[in-house]
Amino acid sequence: MPARPPTPVLVAERLTKSFGDGASRRFALREVSLTLYSGQLALLMGPSGSGKSTLLAVLSGLLRPEGGSVFVQDDGQRYDLWKLSDSQMEKFRLRHTGFIFQGYNLFPALSAMQQLEIVLKWGTGLGDSAASTRADDMLNRLGMNAQKYKKPAQLSGGEKQRVAIGRALVKDPTFIFADEPTSALDWENGQRVIELLRSAAHARGASIFVVSHDERMRPFADVVYHLDDGHLSVEHNPVPLAVAGPSHPSEVAR
Amino acid sequence: MSYALQTLWHDKARYAAGVGAVAFSAVLIVLQVGLLLGLFEITSVPVDHTSADLWVGSQDVKSVDLGVQIPINQHMPRLTEKKGLKGQPEVYLAMYANMTRPDGGMERCFVLGSSLDADAAGAPDVLSAELRAALTLPNSIVTDESELGRLHLKGPGDTAKISGVEVTLVGTVKGMKSLAAPWIMCSETTARKLLAGFVQPDHCTYLLARAESPQRAKEIVAELRSEYPEMSVYTTDEFSFSCRWYWLTRTKAGIAIGYAALLGLMVGAVITAQTLYSATMASAKEFATLLALGIPRRKIYGLVIAQSWWVGVFGVVASVPVVWLLAQAAGAGGAKVVLRWEVVGGAALVTIGTALFSGLFALRSVRKIEPISLLR
Repeated sequence: MPARPPTPVLVAERLTKSFGDGASRRFALREVSLTLYSGQLALLMGPSGSGKSTLLAVLSGLLRPEGGSVFVQDDGQRYDLWKLSDSQMEKFRLRHTGFIFQGYNLFPALSAMQQLEIVLKWGTGLGDSAASTRADDMLNRLGMNAQKYKKPAQLSGGEKQRVAIGRALVKDPTFIFADEPTSALDWENGQRVIELLRSAAHARGASIFVVSHDERMRPFADVVYHLDDGHLSVEHNPVPLAVAGPSHPSEVAR
Repeated sequence: MSYALQTLWHDKARYAAGVGAVAFSAVLIVLQVGLLLGLFEITSVPVDHTSADLWVGSQDVKSVDLGVQIPINQHMPRLTEKKGLKGQPEVYLAMYANMTRPDGGMERCFVLGSSLDADAAGAPDVLSAELRAALTLPNSIVTDESELGRLHLKGPGDTAKISGVEVTLVGTVKGMKSLAAPWIMCSETTARKLLAGFVQPDHCTYLLARAESPQRAKEIVAELRSEYPEMSVYTTDEFSFSCRWYWLTRTKAGIAIGYAALLGLMVGAVITAQTLYSATMASAKEFATLLALGIPRRKIYGLVIAQSWWVGVFGVVASVPVVWLLAQAAGAGGAKVVLRWEVVGGAALVTIGTALFSGLFALRSVRKIEPISLLR
């Protein structure tokens, strides 16, 4: 699959979000602005409680900011995410977003294949065989061929997170938001997960936004942001924005 | 296998409570209604065990045990003048009497006196030829074997007194159980002696007849009703239903049993709703992930409703052997449970409907699920 052009992009401007009232009011985001590009893995770091997850929630359409805008560039159109109606927001998330959470949140009763199929069938309305083919294809790319009929209880932590990644990638989203995706994994598995995400950005042209406090992830990021006390800074921007083709030999997800 | 069914199967222990609650409701409804039908079948036993097609009785008689005497000479010609009758109409005596048991105690009984001829319309079909012959002896009686204990009779040969007249038990039958007073079967001659104080010699309680065809029986009933509104005329099926309906409505037993069944349904609904609610909450994170991915909430509603459907179906399936066993046990204990397919099917529909309703109730848990909860 050829790399996508570096669109759509997401532009966040002067985002503000606080929690609590009066004296106990605490700002999670203070006038935060950033831009996400396709084909890029952006890493957001910061101490715990610094507002990292809040920023992820605001960018992904899960939490409404008090101030500022999140503009999405979508097929030549530019719109403010937080001016969409609930149903438009649902459609936006269905079409454009994939999520990976710290917990794997896999249905205990369903096999790895079914965890992916359910997203395709319920979300995109794919038929049984088409959904099955795509889920199978995705799990193969993630190196989960032998585990595809296993249920979560039969999988290791790393394997579960790979299934969760498959679930996020299978509908081919524009954005993938990952909240501490490696925190429950040892480094070997954590490294594999971040490599998969990086290759998804570079090969699929997806825009990946990873929240983590794990310093070992820095080398895998195209851009590193740092959030502290609601203030965002760009720490590191080592590579050009749009990168065509895999940049790492271990990349398995196109 | 659907996701709903797969989830149910995977988490059997959790859903077992809901399935059990639905089964409990189904068992309660089927047994209650079955007992009700069995109970009220008992009220029409004398009618159901004759081979008559037509019953003529006193004005407005609703149940076989409520008939008062009617003049034979006046009523018989009304019947005999009708064409399409098979054989001669018969006299039938049916009335309460007091029995003095062998131990001296008193018991209310219901005397049924009819012709005992081989082709008699009024002779209960449970009487064998031998019993009919034995009943031709003066003052001999037959009753259901289940009544012996109540009447303090040990068996054939025992004697008691009815209306002061000494009677001898010559045998017992099965299938003539009573609700209140034991049915005492005897010849018309014996019945006249036992009911002398209540039925005059030229009167009887009912006139019974056979018709050439069921259709003709209905026609004769319609004709007699319009011509003689002061007497009651029924086909046997109508009279049987009238007896049951009368007791069902007059005793309010149906209402009591209805309440019991309703209570069972409510208990089932609450437990099922709670089971589904907690099961849904247990999967809240998985559902929240799907919502984050943009899966419409209605898909998750659909899953919960499908789960409630399957809980209902499994509950009904689980209730089948229990109902059967309990019905057998009730039968062995002397209480008839009538399992009609309409009742079983109706109970299945009602309980599955209740499970689905519980599912709707559990949807409030899905409404509470928000993807943002995964980031807190």
